[in-house]
Amino acid sequence: MTELDQEIIDHMANPKNYGSIERPDAMGIGENPENGEKVIIHLRVKDEGGMPRIEDIKFQAIGCMTTVVAGSIITGEAKGIDFETGKELISVTLGMLDGVPAEEAACSEMVAVSLQAAMDTYTAKKADPDHGTITYKIENSCEVKETP
Amino acid sequence: MKTLLIKTHEVWLETMMAAFMSQTNSRQTLYEFSDILWRHFTWIEHELIQSGDPYDYDRDTIPIKVTHLRDVLSNLSRRLSEIDLQLIVCTNRDLAHRISTDLRYIEGVISRMSNEVVTAFDASRTIDRIALTQEATDALTLFLFEESYKEYELIMIYNYLKAHSDDAFLNRIFQILIDESFFHLRSFGSMMAEMGILGVPRVIHKSLYQVESVEQFLRDGIEEEIAAKQQCLDLSAAVSKESKELAAFFDFINFQEDYHVSLMREALDHYAQMKA
Repeated sequence: MTELDQEIIDHMANPKNYGSIERPDAMGIGENPENGEKVIIHLRVKDEGGMPRIEDIKFQAIGCMTTVVAGSIITGEAKGIDFETGKELISVTLGMLDGVPAEEAACSEMVAVSLQAAMDTYTAKKADPDHGTITYKIENSCEVKETP
Repeated sequence: MKTLLIKTHEVWLETMMAAFMSQTNSRQTLYEFSDILWRHFTWIEHELIQSGDPYDYDRDTIPIKVTHLRDVLSNLSRRLSEIDLQLIVCTNRDLAHRISTDLRYIEGVISRMSNEVVTAFDASRTIDRIALTQEATDALTLFLFEESYKEYELIMIYNYLKAHSDDAFLNRIFQILIDESFFHLRSFGSMMAEMGILGVPRVIHKSLYQVESVEQFLRDGIEEEIAAKQQCLDLSAAVSKESKELAAFFDFINFQEDYHVSLMREALDHYAQMKA
């Protein structure tokens, strides 16, 4: 993580939306297959005329502080938005990862795909209430490649 | 009892945070009280295990950002009173009596502590008035956030393993590692308060302590300790120009990790012998 400004330090000291929701409407997991790091998202969803809206969102991270900061920022953006806007948020986040340092890209991707997994779990549960929690694995590598 | 465990967990952590905030003699008293509250936590946990009640280490987030020590002390007094009332659910009356009398004494002492201005959240990011470079300051900041959480995580994991093990050999190792992590957590928390970046370690996920394989956990743990050693080495190098004392501190932590690795290898050998 580069250049720690006050805003990032605030996210590290007091990550927003950290924790879990009792009896959530859906959960989703983003996982780094390289090292087993994970982000778990819990959603409370309100269905308004067929358009689900994220009423509450919590996340937990088994990972580094960069993942916690990414989780704090992205869940802060996701709170209160509908699933369509949620998809845009995920798409914009993933689109911004080119050129980002490897570790930061992997951490942000893990949060974005866990949000996608939670929304997909919610949709799948609509059709099948017994549907399990969806896990998506990330594509970015957390490993910092040594330059020769 | 599960609520009692959660509330005791929260008050233990908040008391330790209050100790980090204090810059007077109250600091040592608050440390001692947080140690007592930690022991309460482990005794309540033992009762839950004995009764077969399921439990975990989940808890609420603990807001601690205050400008004056009195604010956090008042909150601690309220929490202690609430726990005292909840002791009615503890069927082990000897334990309930012990905890209750402790809580009342602690509350009395806390209510008489002097107020102080708290600088633990001023984000000054300076330590011992040493002028570190921006790069070294950022590296130290990140290290303290990462490692204070890590030490809290290790305390909880080894405590859980110890609480669920009857093996004296392993429990000796787990207890040493708990004690060591307490020292590290206090050192890092104290530095965070001095730098004005104090934060409560985040809640740890169940899968980290309710491990499927203790051996795998130990193998991964050895890798993590080796990585932590490297971080200490890097940090020591980054600050050595500005502060020999700070560099020596990180070397000291680095050398302590060697013994942790050795203990974890001993534990792994013990598992191998048990299987043979």
